[in-house]
Amino acid sequence: MSTATTHTSAVVHPEYDRLALNRFGLWLFFFSESLIFLILLLTRFYLFGTSRPEELNQTLGLAITVILLLSSFTAYRAETAIAHDDRPQFLRNLLATILLGTLFLLGVVLVEWPEAPRLGIVPQEGFGIAFFSMTGMHAFHVLSGVLLLLMVYLNGRRGAYSSDSYWGVEASIKYWHFVDVVWVFFYPALYLL
Amino acid sequence: MEAKKAAKLRLGWIVIGILAVLTAVEFWVAIAINSALLYLAVLALAKAALIVQYFMHVNQLWHKEGHE
Repeated sequence: MSTATTHTSAVVHPEYDRLALNRFGLWLFFFSESLIFLILLLTRFYLFGTSRPEELNQTLGLAITVILLLSSFTAYRAETAIAHDDRPQFLRNLLATILLGTLFLLGVVLVEWPEAPRLGIVPQEGFGIAFFSMTGMHAFHVLSGVLLLLMVYLNGRRGAYSSDSYWGVEASIKYWHFVDVVWVFFYPALYLL
Repeated sequence: MEAKKAAKLRLGWIVIGILAVLTAVEFWVAIAINSALLYLAVLALAKAALIVQYFMHVNQLWHKEGHE
């Protein structure tokens, strides 16, 4: 009798259990990724203590931080919109997130990286080792996040998601927030101390 | 349904507002205080906690929620 009940329960809610497992797996992935970023952060403090070069572009650091925070906000709005079947708002906010993410990436790769060596911060020595490895690893994750969101956007335009089924949206947006959380710790460590 | 969506969007505005204020405070602390490591660490933890709690919905891990 009890076996039959358990079996029935599993058949009735397979999607529900699948979603819980997916979420758990995603958070495990975040945990493992966190360790990589934590090692980079600890290495920066181990090698250079609480000092940093005065020459670093503070305005640019603040600007790209604000851009990334704003992109998390638009990502949140996109997820909320699809959870309520508002497809136009979902697509609009997702596109804004992709654009803001790209802007962040361009700020780091095309402005910050070429400028740093002119200020004496080079990848081969001193603070530059920490600066380029931390911003480089983070930029790689931003790039993969932008590509993921772009795939979700294209799927969304084809009507692939609804309030009943949007795990792809949820997972990629959670990943985007994770990338933002990493920057929340990297920003003060690189620019503010 | 619409009221629930409006409430969630409002929550998003509140969270981004707090994040903006904390970022401004962070910037000010870095300029105004000499040994700011502890203050900056606390501020970064607060910002991360807000994102993890409200944007990443970490509580979905222990409060089972399906897609609406």
